[in-house]
Amino acid sequence: MADHSQELAKQRLSRRRFMIMTINGVGAGTALLIGAPIVGSVLSPVFAKRRTPWVLVADIGQVPVGVPTAYVVNLPINEGWAVPPVPRTVYVVKLNLLGQVEMLTLSNVCTHMQCDVHWDINLKAFLCPCHGGLYSIDGTNVGGPPPWPLFRYQHKLVGNTLYVRNVLTGA
Amino acid sequence: MSSPSQPGRSALVAKLTRPVARPMAATYRWVDERMGISDLTHQLLYEATPRRGAWAYSLGSATLIIIVLQIVTGMFLLWTYVPSTTEAWESLNFIEHHDEFAAIVRGMHLWGAYVLLIIIGLHMIRTFVSGSYKKPRELNWIVGVLLFLMVLGLGITGAMLPWDQAAYWTAIVVTHVVDYIPLLGNWMQQILRGGPQMGPETLTRFFAIHIWLLPALLVPLIGLHLVLLRRHGEHGSWVNYEGVETEPEEVRKERMAKAEYPYPAIPSDPGYAVPVDLDDFFPSQVFKDAVVSFALVLIIFIMAVVVGAPLERAANPAALNYVPTPEWFFLPLDQLLVQFPQAWMIPVGVFVVPGIGTTLLILVPFLDRSPEREPWRRPEVMVPALFATLFLIFEALLAVNRLFNL
Repeated sequence: MADHSQELAKQRLSRRRFMIMTINGVGAGTALLIGAPIVGSVLSPVFAKRRTPWVLVADIGQVPVGVPTAYVVNLPINEGWAVPPVPRTVYVVKLNLLGQVEMLTLSNVCTHMQCDVHWDINLKAFLCPCHGGLYSIDGTNVGGPPPWPLFRYQHKLVGNTLYVRNVLTGA
Repeated sequence: MSSPSQPGRSALVAKLTRPVARPMAATYRWVDERMGISDLTHQLLYEATPRRGAWAYSLGSATLIIIVLQIVTGMFLLWTYVPSTTEAWESLNFIEHHDEFAAIVRGMHLWGAYVLLIIIGLHMIRTFVSGSYKKPRELNWIVGVLLFLMVLGLGITGAMLPWDQAAYWTAIVVTHVVDYIPLLGNWMQQILRGGPQMGPETLTRFFAIHIWLLPALLVPLIGLHLVLLRRHGEHGSWVNYEGVETEPEEVRKERMAKAEYPYPAIPSDPGYAVPVDLDDFFPSQVFKDAVVSFALVLIIFIMAVVVGAPLERAANPAALNYVPTPEWFFLPLDQLLVQFPQAWMIPVGVFVVPGIGTTLLILVPFLDRSPEREPWRRPEVMVPALFATLFLIFEALLAVNRLFNL
């Protein structure tokens, strides 16, 4: 009699265990079914493919040497769906290095917190208004918190006509 | 329930209202029988709350009222606002110029947020000074800190939604800060922005975080905050125990014997189990709560009508003469960005210093574990806390000086 009831209790326990294991398994499965697509959609920007077409800036033949000149370029935004291109500033800097003129296409995005820097005539430097970062005329970070020099837009020259695309490279 | 023979009511009125009053009373009885409203109301309203220091306790309920105000005004801002980089600014500009009442609603949402942050700060200071975070209320302090962090998150995500210049540059800096997280930072920035650069998905993401993700976490956590409050009784402050340490054993025993439910639900230190002087939650505490909350909502309303919510020019990533300034409650953090320059120091200013501060705040109940609650008798926690508060104010002042003298 005692053996029988113990056997029964064991059986009940295993039945109970089966149900608990099923609940856990089904619960995990439900979470996975709901969670996997959500995690995928959250991560999708990391793996998205982007086009970066060349964009006309201007004829830069008249840009004087040693004076950073700002051009507003409407760069297409490649994140998300189609929206109008966003105006960004490209600083064209011509430098006279040992008799040879070098041309830089500096991004005006501060490397510290990505605020917009501008060429300050009095300081003779690029100044970031957010946290006071300073860059020299060739984009080298010379003061304040910026950790790196200003990035440069990939560019190509067709005669004197400058094109850039939304790809940034280090100095 | 109203009965026709209530004192102070004339027989004529009773007779006239009878056709309405009787079915109403019957309906109430029918519903009550099935839902137990009366029992619930009794449980909610007739809890024992402290008589002393109860005006200071009204800060918690004021926080709740303003959060409800934020949720309600937020719901109605959605009647016009469009979460799109091309239309968000236009929709708010429409409100500001063509819909005066909606502009007031928007103003109340902004000033509600400002007042909410101040009141949460005061609520936190009150809890800290009075030693209410001590055993058995440690977990409720932690829940409170989490709620505070969520409200800060709501504040900063809300500041991005107008997509004017201020909003755009706030979004730029906030999403770029995460880029400095070692290893995962760049991914996280892309997840938050919807790509390496700001785009249309940046706004929809922060919109979703602001109106759904954070509130969906905030509301249940508020529920937990209140459940824990009720479980431990609303008398954690030292003022509810004044003289307890010195009173004779018999007096204390008598006080304990007279103690009524719901305290001490979890007696910790016998001296702090039974408060000295109590009153019913309704109406004595509700009266104070209502007066304080009304005063605050009135301030919010007046600021919304008189000052309103600013809307700067539409976001323009190419503007060269714009000086971005953070919301005032992020000034200390913004100042840290200046004080920790260069590549390897930036994560220290961005994560390590605020991280240590937040961790210490969460650990307060475990750093100060003595049963002593009287603020003057625990200088070892009061003095560092005072310095931490002064440090935050000092950093904010430095940031103001920097941003407005540039």
